[in-house]
Amino acid sequence: MLTESEILRYSPHLLLDDLGESGQEKLKNSHVLIIGMGGLGSPAAMYLAAAGVGTLVIADFDHLEQSNLQRQIGYQTDDIGAPKVQLMKHRLLMINPQIRVRTVNTKMDESQLLLELMMVNLVLDCTDNMASRQMINAACVEARVPLIVGAAIRMEGQLMLFDHSQSDAACYHCLFANSDEQALNCSNSGVLGPVVGTIGTLQALEAIKYIVGLPSGIKNRLKLFDGKTLEWQTFKITKDAQCSVCGQKK
Amino acid sequence: MNITVNGSELEIAANSTVEALLKNLDKPLNGSALAVNENIIRRSQWAEYKLCDGDKISLFQAIAGG
Repeated sequence: MLTESEILRYSPHLLLDDLGESGQEKLKNSHVLIIGMGGLGSPAAMYLAAAGVGTLVIADFDHLEQSNLQRQIGYQTDDIGAPKVQLMKHRLLMINPQIRVRTVNTKMDESQLLLELMMVNLVLDCTDNMASRQMINAACVEARVPLIVGAAIRMEGQLMLFDHSQSDAACYHCLFANSDEQALNCSNSGVLGPVVGTIGTLQALEAIKYIVGLPSGIKNRLKLFDGKTLEWQTFKITKDAQCSVCGQKK
Repeated sequence: MNITVNGSELEIAANSTVEALLKNLDKPLNGSALAVNENIIRRSQWAEYKLCDGDKISLFQAIAGG
């Protein structure tokens, strides 16, 4: 049941045929883990907090740096030097005091991540490096937790959704196999704020749709966003039966 | 036969494999993915996957930033 205050706050959701009161209750009862509180995680976390996702677990081990502020819109100049998760928790509860926010301020290893996955319905990968992306993917495959992956550099973005609760789910490793290869990141390639913000925002949109039970157009798909032309390309990812991460999944 | 790679037209030998095409292109393949007609072709298939006339190849790199 929604409280009177929740009915007021979420009234624009309640007017949506696709969401309504039952969708809002699903949001309220959901637990979402967002890993990485940077340019993707900032808008993703703020939109999910505003939307009333009942429990957000936010993970990042970085402190805010001046060069983050060009794109990581959850933070302010006065915040430089403080742990990002502590700053973001405060920000999210300022947006919406009716939700719960828990922080993870360490670099998680696989066993810690698997413990966290036992307590959530959905994971957003908002990290900034390939090793973390491969580890998060493998853990989500093992724990059968759905994963929404976003990435951006320069003026390009990538977005994908793997519903690991389903046996037909492909995985990140089916697409990008090798984790020790150099991948492009914001520090070595640069990035424009609204490009990474667009992808983070769409991760939040897909998360809300997943939680309320709306079909996703990006399941087992890779979407490529070109920030110069605003064109999207869509590619189908077929589950690789030989994939060393998800191929043996029964 | 004629194919396109990231929108540019290219003539290659009939029955060329993905791997042969990539050797021709001489591009760095670190962290890359490849799609033929919007279907991702996994790397383990590149050596045997035969291209057809008119195929649209998309080649792109993994991006990790956020």
